[in-house]
Amino acid sequence: MKDEAYFKQLAHQLMFELSDEEAADIKKEFETLNKQLELLENVNTEGVEEMVYPFETPTSFLREDCVENVVSVEDALKNVHKSRARHVLVPKVVK
Amino acid sequence: MATMLEMMKSNVEKNVSEALKKAQDVQGKLNAVVTFVDPTEQLENYNKNGLMAGVPIVLKDNVCTKGIETTASSGILQGYVPIYNAHIVDRLQAEGAIVIAKSSMDELAMGGTNKTAYTGPVHNPYDLDRISGGSSGGSAALVAAGVVPFAIGSDTGDSVRKPASFCGICGVKPTYGRISRYGIIPYSSSLDHVGYFTRSVRDAAVALEVLAGRDDRDMTSSFEPVPHYLDQVKGNLKGKKLAILKNVVDVIENKEILDCFNKVVEEVKKQGAEVKEVELNEDLMKAMLPTYYLIANCEATANHSNLDGIRFGLQKEAKSCEDVMIASRTEGFGSLIKKRFVIGSYGLFEENQDKLFRKAQKVRRLIVEELKNALDGLDGILAPASGTVAPKIEDQNQDDLSDSYLVAENHMVLGNFSGYPSATIPMGEVGGLPIGLNITCHPFDEGNMFDILRGIELITGLEDKIKEVL
Repeated sequence: MKDEAYFKQLAHQLMFELSDEEAADIKKEFETLNKQLELLENVNTEGVEEMVYPFETPTSFLREDCVENVVSVEDALKNVHKSRARHVLVPKVVK
Repeated sequence: MATMLEMMKSNVEKNVSEALKKAQDVQGKLNAVVTFVDPTEQLENYNKNGLMAGVPIVLKDNVCTKGIETTASSGILQGYVPIYNAHIVDRLQAEGAIVIAKSSMDELAMGGTNKTAYTGPVHNPYDLDRISGGSSGGSAALVAAGVVPFAIGSDTGDSVRKPASFCGICGVKPTYGRISRYGIIPYSSSLDHVGYFTRSVRDAAVALEVLAGRDDRDMTSSFEPVPHYLDQVKGNLKGKKLAILKNVVDVIENKEILDCFNKVVEEVKKQGAEVKEVELNEDLMKAMLPTYYLIANCEATANHSNLDGIRFGLQKEAKSCEDVMIASRTEGFGSLIKKRFVIGSYGLFEENQDKLFRKAQKVRRLIVEELKNALDGLDGILAPASGTVAPKIEDQNQDDLSDSYLVAENHMVLGNFSGYPSATIPMGEVGGLPIGLNITCHPFDEGNMFDILRGIELITGLEDKIKEVL
């Protein structure tokens, strides 16, 4: 059984923190989830292909080599909190 | 307020102005709107000959709208103002629709209650102490309350069809690929559909003609031609071949809901439809929820890795890039979202992928094959949309492992696994609260689906039913 510390560590890898209460709640949720997963395990899937999309129709095509749907630098920066010289400004990375 | 088709014949400016005022007036009771939209500019330029000329509409807040804040009801997207429109916004506006508001939803569309929106829960017009359902709960409540005759939702598990049931309106999830998802903030890409609400089946047919069609910016959108659906909507049930989904009916505990459903089915038979029963494999039906939960959460955790607090939305100050992301995501996401991301990430671990994520994808194929076989020779499969009326806001979920929860409350995910078109329309009331009937049909057979639903709508007489809340 995974403990709260395990889930806090997992959350950290996902780039957010869990409160003690949230970690305890996830631990409890996993108990229910594990029981539900038994229902999944009951199904024999030997030789069955994964279903990734509802239909088997192709979803990728070669298109004409022309420029379209371009986002300008100005537009791309409109939602950025800080920018400088047409770039996103973030805290210094190299120390 | 009238149906969309009726409204187009009357004074547009008055209709739009009244809709906006009503949306503002009911906000204190329903809490269904996240952002009100000034329609002045749209009214100067709308297409007076379009299929939705002058119709006031609402968009779910996961639909990107150029220049209008779009949050998906999540703190992490506070302040995000898209630089482009979703494909469907351009389509709706090209046909003359006027957007008056962005509606509340479960955070990032993950949930079935609309209790997780960062602006607080949406209230059901029929009983303000009850949920509207989710995740498209704001849109559903606004259509049910007669604010607008049409609203956009999105449906990954049943997020249009369940709120439609709880609010007594039509909720349509068309075939996967029928409507482009370009510009819709994603949840689970292999299950996400654009859906919508109306108060009449005929309006639903018109709306799909507006929304459907190939869009090169969504590679999964279909090349299937878009028919004039309304031409197919006659409401004649004679000769239609239908079946009742026995697995669902067998586990519903609310006798009044079953009685109402059975009465409607008897009338459907009297109108000349052939109605039999179909039963899907029980183990597969019970596996629907964990299959959905794994696929949806695994895909969601990957899709939402771009919500980093750097390029858009909420940003918390910190000393490093990594700390900015951690602080922003910690504050920006609600607890339920964090839980789902943790579960999704767990399912994607290399050591878990085969027994969890890939296993779920295989079970999904088996479930879809089972549904396809059941539909063979039929026009559609019917079931009550839910085994309950809208729960109270303070209620917790039912027993997560009971058959009535696993099957009756989750069966509409069949339409998302398969991509088959599915819709809910009102069939009656229990204790003054609406209940819905659901149908699932063959891919790209929406015209036939609307025709059947129109026949049922004529039986129930529940076209354009409005619940005033003022």
